[in-house]
Amino acid sequence: MSPTRARSAMFVWGVTTGALAGVVAFAAPAEGEGFAWAVGGAAVASVTSGLAAWFRARERLARDRYSALEADAVRFADTTLPAALTRVAEGATAERVLAEFTRTGKRAALAPARPEQVRALQQAVRALGRSEARRAAALAACANAAGRMQAMSTSALAELREMEERHQDSDVLADLLHVDHRTAQAGRLADSIAVLSGARSGRRWARPIAMESVLRGAMGRIAGYRRVRLRAVPPSLAIAGHAAEGVMHVLAELLDNACNFSPPSTEVHAYVSEVPAGLLVTVEDSGLTMSDSALRRAEQAVSGQAPDLSALTGTRLGLAVVGHLARKHDLTVSFRPSATGGTAVLVLVPRHLISRTDEPAAATPASAATPAPAAGGSETAAARPAGGTIPSQRTPVGAAGAGATADALPRRRPAERQAPAAGSPADAPVARHDASTTEPPSSGSGSGSGSGSGSTLPRRRRGQTFAAAHPGGLPHTPGAVPDGGDRPAPSPRPAAHGARFHAFRQAVTGQAGENSTTPRASDSASAEDR
Amino acid sequence: MNRPGTDDRPDRLYTLTSGRSRPSREDLDLVTLIVAESGPTAGLSSELAAILRLCVHPTSVVEISAELGLPVSITKILVSDLLDAGRATARHPRYTASGRPELDPATLEKVLVGLRAL
Repeated sequence: MSPTRARSAMFVWGVTTGALAGVVAFAAPAEGEGFAWAVGGAAVASVTSGLAAWFRARERLARDRYSALEADAVRFADTTLPAALTRVAEGATAERVLAEFTRTGKRAALAPARPEQVRALQQAVRALGRSEARRAAALAACANAAGRMQAMSTSALAELREMEERHQDSDVLADLLHVDHRTAQAGRLADSIAVLSGARSGRRWARPIAMESVLRGAMGRIAGYRRVRLRAVPPSLAIAGHAAEGVMHVLAELLDNACNFSPPSTEVHAYVSEVPAGLLVTVEDSGLTMSDSALRRAEQAVSGQAPDLSALTGTRLGLAVVGHLARKHDLTVSFRPSATGGTAVLVLVPRHLISRTDEPAAATPASAATPAPAAGGSETAAARPAGGTIPSQRTPVGAAGAGATADALPRRRPAERQAPAAGSPADAPVARHDASTTEPPSSGSGSGSGSGSGSTLPRRRRGQTFAAAHPGGLPHTPGAVPDGGDRPAPSPRPAAHGARFHAFRQAVTGQAGENSTTPRASDSASAEDR
Repeated sequence: MNRPGTDDRPDRLYTLTSGRSRPSREDLDLVTLIVAESGPTAGLSSELAAILRLCVHPTSVVEISAELGLPVSITKILVSDLLDAGRATARHPRYTASGRPELDPATLEKVLVGLRAL
């Protein structure tokens, strides 16, 4: 029996008995006053007790209803609303979340029980959904704009580089370098905004970037790059192309911090060391030691936890950017007081981002494309343990230098060295013939293969032609070859000289940057022509 | 916008020269021959080390520039650093012309014609 019906029944019963008693009392006055009074009292008592029972039931009912309402409200406030808002914050649209939180939806257990709760939930979820959409749109606009700024600064930097190649005047060059530096800094700011707004990183390098270049690229993007000193950068280590930009950006921000928070007269040192876990870059300044709370804040900012953009101030983007990038590339960044008084920042680049170039010279940017420095690099690398220094021109280089390189260098082709100098007129054509059949005309092929198949091509040896052409040496230059003892007479054929001159002329008149391999190629080509 | 190959290295030129745009010595020109006096050591930047390796044999400034892929003006600054540090020496062409201050214009013309004919 429902509470309402029980209440009505009790009320009806009380009133009915009371009324009956009243009727009996008035209907029998002759029976005597005493009886009438008794019946009337009973009637009143009966009505009173009926009313009392009715009120008690009504009160209990109200209490039950109140506690049920309270439980509903608590559940709504503590469970339903937070869960729904979390879903919206996770990226679900408002309408989808509202559909989930109905009696038939995916989260029916959490569905609001009362219509006013449903309305409250709708309002809250829709308001949050609108706000999330606004935030996402603003971030996307930021990321888009930052990407365009990045592209512009990248192309501006490329154009500046071309202009720097073109203008030889020192004053013009100084201005260009200045603009270049400004552009690079603006580019870094665009990169930072892009990183914070979740855009893709700006530049992707197609090949591993040598650690030295990564550090110098980082230096080039900060204002105080002149104060940065690179120490002990291993020439053989490189960062994988896809991560090089991120590492560079992290180092740029850390170097900039180090420069900004140390006296302008002091230097900032960057060390690179190889550790079992990867590559450790230390950036050390001589500023004030960071306080414990500042260290904690910095560690927190770079710890790789979920980003909180609301904490950004606009002027201190650096550590937030570092945190983002560290999370992305698995870098570990830590701070500690430096032994020199300032703060040291340690960046650990994990091993899977490191690639190793075996040849030291291949670490130089240009020599990756040109074969000569690579060969020269291994030459010196091989010669260094033995002699410590390269035999200078004062020593009989014909004997020592040639012997050492020929022995120590597997990739240098002995015949190549001897071809211009020792090649007699008789066997020279044979050599050239071999070369023309086996070696493709592009000079770049010689570097990678190293097989020595086309090695008999009479390539011009840098500088040696000059010495070889003048076996007596230049009379007043101390470094000239003292005697032609080990060195046979130069090839008397004018064609070889012509080829060399041609190469030299191309080197002087041609574009220095792009045609760095041209002299060699044209050298061989013209030698084959004749 | 990102054109690969045109600017395919991250280090800017001013970081190579610490911001200088003028060589410390004015007497270097394109054909000045540079000779290394010592091998590269550990502390050197890769460019300076590469120059020293190239200049084991006398090498002109313009050739160094071409090999490193750097503008001549920047190369001159790097080379002057090496010269100032005593790690390399320069041989100036005007002094190597066997003592003669000027060449015969007719000879120069012949050389020019010969070069053009190559």
